[in-house]
Amino acid sequence: MPRIDAHGHVFAKVSREFPRETGGNTPADREESVEKLMTYMAASDIGQAMLVQMGGATAAHHAYVLHCLRTYPDRFLGIGLIPEDLVASPEEHMDRLTDGTGIVGFRLGLVGGPRDPFDDVDVRTFLTYRIWKHAAEKDLVLWLYVRAADAHLIAYLVDAFPQVRVVLNHLGICPGEGKGRHDQWGRPQIDIASYNPAFHTTHRLSTYENVTMKLSGHYAFSKKPYPYEDLAGWHRAALNSFGADRLMWATDFPWIYEEPGYDKLVDLVEKLTPDIMPHEYEAVMGGTARRFLRFPDLK
Amino acid sequence: MTGDSGPTPAERKQWEDLGYLVFEEAISGDVLARLQHAFDYWAEACKEEWLGRIAKGEAAATYYDIPNTLEKDDVFIDILDRPKYYRYIKAFAGDDAIVIGEQVRTAPVWTTSYTGWHPDVPPSHPLHIKVQVYVNDVEPGGGEFAFVPGSHRPGAGPYPRVKNLAAMPGHKRFAGKAGTAIMFNSYGWHVAMENHTETPRKSIILIYEKRTPDRVAENENRFASISHALNTPERHRLFGIS
Repeated sequence: MPRIDAHGHVFAKVSREFPRETGGNTPADREESVEKLMTYMAASDIGQAMLVQMGGATAAHHAYVLHCLRTYPDRFLGIGLIPEDLVASPEEHMDRLTDGTGIVGFRLGLVGGPRDPFDDVDVRTFLTYRIWKHAAEKDLVLWLYVRAADAHLIAYLVDAFPQVRVVLNHLGICPGEGKGRHDQWGRPQIDIASYNPAFHTTHRLSTYENVTMKLSGHYAFSKKPYPYEDLAGWHRAALNSFGADRLMWATDFPWIYEEPGYDKLVDLVEKLTPDIMPHEYEAVMGGTARRFLRFPDLK
Repeated sequence: MTGDSGPTPAERKQWEDLGYLVFEEAISGDVLARLQHAFDYWAEACKEEWLGRIAKGEAAATYYDIPNTLEKDDVFIDILDRPKYYRYIKAFAGDDAIVIGEQVRTAPVWTTSYTGWHPDVPPSHPLHIKVQVYVNDVEPGGGEFAFVPGSHRPGAGPYPRVKNLAAMPGHKRFAGKAGTAIMFNSYGWHVAMENHTETPRKSIILIYEKRTPDRVAENENRFASISHALNTPERHRLFGIS
């Protein structure tokens, strides 16, 4: 069974064929091609991967990811983005991007419900309600890396739409306002409270069978260099609460090519959970992603 | 139920065998009214700060602890040595208990519980006792405290990591009126059950431990700001103030 890297990004140089937005670590002349990724994957015996859109949320911005999915249909699946101005009426955009393209779902950065946890809740008033409803109707995946203020709101939508497959990104962390910066490699660094609030919000979603979590993004949260030993307890807690059948390993390429290196990330699960059972390891390293995200057979 | 004269042989046996005791009306009358008023006042006063900490990723939205309560109202100090349960703590800790702190907590209604089944410390840790005091009435299915009797004993378990809290084998749930206190050995597996009512659960968790030099050293600084209320030798000893 192929091992699967469940989260990362590819992008081309800005061109008419592949337009995208630019940023501090994604200048117009930088490219992180899918072929480069495949070289790293091959060297580490990783068979498949999830390509998560970045560099803009319009349909046009997805051109490079769609190109990669067309070119290597048995190797990759994709996760798209939804423009802010379409969140209230997202159906056409979602349908267009998922119509036989290999894009299987969408990444969300917010939920959009009441700020006060003591307020009455009606999920139909949530900003992203129609996205969740459409995902339920079209059997799409929702890929969540939401702001901290919304962490507890996810549960209401998960509860309302048990048929939606939900993937909590990056150890279930929800970044707090003003807690982000960049490291010397231009990568995001997120300051996390010493007692992780996610243990009482996103990690509690382990009670829902339609929720999975990715073991990824360590470089952004750890206060120690690879192998990020300060996060070993989080790994163990995730394994205890979700179980290996609902955990997926990912590297968050390309941000780890240089530091610590793709091959190092492949060893991370073993290093942080050395007592993991062989069948659990197989699930985390690909089995869960294959089943839950429905990766195709490799040709 | 427990009485006013300290642990009877039967109560001591229950504590040792099962790891918990229940004190109905442990806090009542004027003291309960003072406690409820202070709880609600400070919960409202500190709420905006809590909401800000949620947005910053510094606090979870699924439970709300009023910060630094011992400095806010003496009733939060007075409940730490209420005779109804404090004499039991002294008895079980060999007259050598020290207070660690308290969590003045509201758990909003949510789709599931804010925590899963867990022990707080391993049996190798010095004796660790918590007293969960209900500030409002907690109905069955209202986020009540639950405990696995006997799970505090060395060698007990292993206990399954159940996703459905109600599936924990052998657990006991403790609904109760406001003022009810449940004392439990923190080696044991416990949880806040799911709240299927429309009423948030208000409770205060009092935390004690068998005295050790490390804890005494920590407490010297921790409780300096409330020295005015630590006005008896007994309180000095309880709070570890020299």
